Amino acid sequence: MKKFAYLLLGTVLLFSCKKEGCTDPIATNYNPEADINNGSCDYYNITPYTIETPYGFPVMIIPTNNPTTVEGVSLGKKLFNDPILSFDNSQSCSSCHLQIAGFSDTNQFSAGIDGLVGNRNASTIINAGWNSSNFWDGRTTTLEEQAFEPVINPLEMHNTWLNVENTLNNSEQYKQLFKDAFNIEYIDSNHVVMAIAQFERTLISVNSKFDKYLKEEVLLTNEELNGYAIFNSERGDCFHCHGTQMFMDNLFHNNGLDPEPFTDNGLGDITDNSLDNGKFKTPTLRNIEFTSPYMHDGRFSTLEEVVEHYDSGGVYSSTIDPLMKKLGVGLLLTNQEKQDLIAFLKTLSDIDFINNVK
Amino acid sequence: MKNILTIISLVSIILVSCEKPTKTNLTINFSHTVEGANLTTNSMVYTNDAGENYNVQTLKYLISDITLHAENGSSLVLDEVHFIDISEESTFSFTYNDVPNNNYTSISFDMGLDTNKNISNKYVDEGIGTNQEFHQTMFWPEIGMNGMDMGGGYHYMKLEGDFNDSLSGYGTHTGGTMGMDYSFNNIDGISLIVTDDLGNVDVNINMEINNWYRTPNQIEFSTYGMGIMGNMQMQMNLKENGMTDVFSISVNK
Repeated sequence: MKKFAYLLLGTVLLFSCKKEGCTDPIATNYNPEADINNGSCDYYNITPYTIETPYGFPVMIIPTNNPTTVEGVSLGKKLFNDPILSFDNSQSCSSCHLQIAGFSDTNQFSAGIDGLVGNRNASTIINAGWNSSNFWDGRTTTLEEQAFEPVINPLEMHNTWLNVENTLNNSEQYKQLFKDAFNIEYIDSNHVVMAIAQFERTLISVNSKFDKYLKEEVLLTNEELNGYAIFNSERGDCFHCHGTQMFMDNLFHNNGLDPEPFTDNGLGDITDNSLDNGKFKTPTLRNIEFTSPYMHDGRFSTLEEVVEHYDSGGVYSSTIDPLMKKLGVGLLLTNQEKQDLIAFLKTLSDIDFINNVK
Repeated sequence: MKNILTIISLVSIILVSCEKPTKTNLTINFSHTVEGANLTTNSMVYTNDAGENYNVQTLKYLISDITLHAENGSSLVLDEVHFIDISEESTFSFTYNDVPNNNYTSISFDMGLDTNKNISNKYVDEGIGTNQEFHQTMFWPEIGMNGMDMGGGYHYMKLEGDFNDSLSGYGTHTGGTMGMDYSFNNIDGISLIVTDDLGNVDVNINMEINNWYRTPNQIEFSTYGMGIMGNMQMQMNLKENGMTDVFSISVNK
């Protein structure tokens, strides 16, 4: 009889709605299926890293299985700057994502370890924690997924993840750092990209002259203010894509660079929808002064060229953004207006972000 | 035996606590038509009253204060602000669970955001991490040309596409130019008697696209297709057209 009772109790427990367990993702015994925290959480010695939400930014979406920690960020930074990730130990992430260039490359196309180049300019890493997708064609969602690719791309680090894992597991120093950050004994690729993503989420730039102007700490010059007005109105019409304090819309647009057929379909190749051909992810304009060259293929080396492109109205194609179709006449900005617009763009420069030891 | 009784009563408690309570769920659906036919995006098949052919590539808009009004004078706000994006099917409806029993006689909503809501950065976290996020794409600037006060806050609507056989683009952008409130209220009589567990009720709010450009103000893209955000007259014209007959409501029980 008692047996029957226990059986019944077991059944009840199986079917009950709430599951007890440790609900804190940073605990060593985190149970993702648990609904109720029963106080069983067990922690190793990690220090949470708090990412403050800057004014005008939404809260950053951080994957629940990769919370930001001081140890993880520090490890990610070390990995980001360590050529150990490349096959011949010659290139790190930072070889093509230079801090002085807004974590982008000053070369139009970056050369990988075999001297081969791709067809796109290295993306910046500025407030990338707020990106809803990554790469110019948006082919990955999270920064973790993004970091998987350059390591094994034959045009970039040309390594294999198996080789990376072997190399890192042969390093006592890395073994200790991964244990400190993730409480793991064996280093795997997942935790490598998790650490790098944690570091990238801390690359936050919100200390430009423009930010100080919003906080009423500094004044903008008349030229900068005029440029701001052009930027923020349908005169220049920059803000529809580069709006908010983030200066990007997390969307994809064809900004009229080329006629069809496109040599690079961008988003269209990812979605397999011809209506997306020629569309690329809007980059943030923060630190634009430092991130030359411009556009997905780095075709423009100066901001003057960029402004000239928009002033001209661009080249017709079927997928060009409707807002770029200024009846074929372009913006018709005066030389002074163009200079003012560039003066405003340079107020988005954050010297601390470029120079600080991150 | 006592043990068993205890366990059986425990089972009953758990079973009862897990059971879904009876309730009435109300789903608000948003649909979009051109001359009564369901909108198909990216198709150059539509013609406005000015005789211009056009397509629709982008339609994003904000509906606020969706409210049910009951016979006894009480009202129920179903949603403070709802974002609809034609490219995201998940935004075409939302469900309000557990509608209280009442005899509802009308439903109302605002097209856009009134002055109390149309504030810069007010909805920075709204729908974050979902397809309902609108802060970045609906952003409306604070300062325009020559220091003009654009009002800040958010676009009420972005309706964009091509016209003139795709050679030209239009962007019907509405919002609070100069901080003016161009949002408008729509109210429709309905008969919806909610009693215990009525089940699922659907209310449909339809936007007839061509009516934005029709009555009383005919709007042509060749003149006012673009650059109307700072144009108070155009914002007023679109508001008037919107109030006339852009929206219609139907209830399915």
